[in-house]
Amino acid sequence: MCGHGPTPAIEPVVVVSNERVATGVCRVVLDAPRTAATVEPGQFVHVRIARSADFILRRPFSVHRARGERLEIIYQVVGRGTRVLEDARPGDVMDVLGPLGHGWTVPEGTTRALVVAGGLGAAPMGMLVERLAEADVQITLAQGAPSAGRLLARELFDSLCRRSVVATDDGSAGTCGFVTVLSAELLQRERPDVAYVCGPEPMQRIVAGQCAEAGVACQVSLERLMACGVGACLSCVVATRHGQKRACVDGPVFDAADVVWDSDEDPEAER
Amino acid sequence: MSSVDMRVRIGALELRNPVMTASGTFGSGKEYADFFDLARLGAVVTKGVSLEPWPGNPGQRIVETPSGMLNSIGLQNPGVEAFCDNDLTWLARHDVPVIVNVVGHRADEYAAVAERLEQESGVHALEVNISCPNVDAGGMAFGTTCPAAAEVVRSVRAVSTKTLIVKLSPNVTDVTEVARAVEAEGADAVSLINTLLGMVIDTRTFAPVLARGVGGLSGPAVRPVAVRMVWQVSQAVSVPVIGMGGITSAEDAAEFLLAGASGVAVGTANFMDPTTTVGVVDGLERFCQERGIEKVTDLVGAAWKR
Repeated sequence: MCGHGPTPAIEPVVVVSNERVATGVCRVVLDAPRTAATVEPGQFVHVRIARSADFILRRPFSVHRARGERLEIIYQVVGRGTRVLEDARPGDVMDVLGPLGHGWTVPEGTTRALVVAGGLGAAPMGMLVERLAEADVQITLAQGAPSAGRLLARELFDSLCRRSVVATDDGSAGTCGFVTVLSAELLQRERPDVAYVCGPEPMQRIVAGQCAEAGVACQVSLERLMACGVGACLSCVVATRHGQKRACVDGPVFDAADVVWDSDEDPEAER
Repeated sequence: MSSVDMRVRIGALELRNPVMTASGTFGSGKEYADFFDLARLGAVVTKGVSLEPWPGNPGQRIVETPSGMLNSIGLQNPGVEAFCDNDLTWLARHDVPVIVNVVGHRADEYAAVAERLEQESGVHALEVNISCPNVDAGGMAFGTTCPAAAEVVRSVRAVSTKTLIVKLSPNVTDVTEVARAVEAEGADAVSLINTLLGMVIDTRTFAPVLARGVGGLSGPAVRPVAVRMVWQVSQAVSVPVIGMGGITSAEDAAEFLLAGASGVAVGTANFMDPTTTVGVVDGLERFCQERGIEKVTDLVGAAWKR
């Protein structure tokens, strides 16, 4: 499977709904027929949130689900852009540049997959889980969050995964602790053919290490600040064993074995 | 579409219209070919090319600022050989003049890149970048004093017969002095402005946001500074000026032409809308039509006598 999907384009979109789905986390549904029809699991869209001179850059968001002519984006309200996005109302018009990037791939012969999501890392897992379920892959999903109120898309995951487990830092749901405790155990017990990981980078690095030890192929979806989204500006580089790659076109999904992790990063960093 | 003569001349180079891409915002064009036909542009100005591969700066490399952004990419590029093999080969299939932005740590490195590109018929002009604020050696260090700027241009001029554009830094007291110095060394044109040195500090962590601390400010925030410098330089030198800095629309581009630029380049706006450049081309033509202007060159410096 090659990483180059359909040609990206700018599509004017209309907000269908925009609501809070967890503490500090919202889901915006956009009427975006072209992008919804062409986006692949793990790809992202670059959203022009406001047509104001004050917003010079688009904001990249992974696509949670694409249903019919609609795109679902799950986002955390963290900065200026997402604060403005949070105020978007049904009928508001914006535009998306997409679909962009190299998404998740399902290796030939996959029968069992482990999906590991930390925090907002659950966002790009919606389409993935749907794709895996369509392909009759048995899915085990482990989701981690600071607390029960921050767990995402549980209904979707519970309905499509053979097994769906959670861990919270405060123990308010599931196992008390990091999701990496669950992934370690599940890798040993279930011996999946492939693991899909998204979340804070320290967590991704730990799960990638667990996969390497267990001999399980691992794909990670990395997040970087980006400007152009199409591979030109080199803002979003990722260090890999094959040199510097661009998260926007070579990723955001990378083979974890290729990624050179930043060892300076604090594994206790905010998840 | 109309009878407006959009052609402009930069040195020996005739462009079908005055609209170019600003170096570093457009790769070598490949990334934007999905969105429009590159032949619509006056020229493609490539990302900076050095003699050897440069890794660029550590991340975080960008941050959005009021009406602008800071970048600290650090001229990451695969080096001139890989550039010729990949980017130039690809660009050769497109009917658009190619201007290669040339960078170096030392004057002889600039010359070595220029010498290598001299053999390439697909390169129509060089833009000598003595104004990148994001590298420790070379870059802006050459563009902020007249002797250093002159030295780089002299060494490139000695090995290159191509049209030579020198990209100037706004981070100087008097931009006309450097412009005159590079004109005296045989520059066929000057382009300005490169980014303004800037900084953002995170008030939560007390640390600079960019890994390198400082970065280059671009976008609409810098436009009035750029227009002023184009105004000054175009009246101080006799070579053509290519103006850039925060252009997002045809009106913005017209402002630069009125200030005295013979050509313009679109940079940061490409990030928001990959089709900005063609919008500026079409809009500039309409701008002329609506005002009964027959040649786009009639706009050049028209504000001087007002």
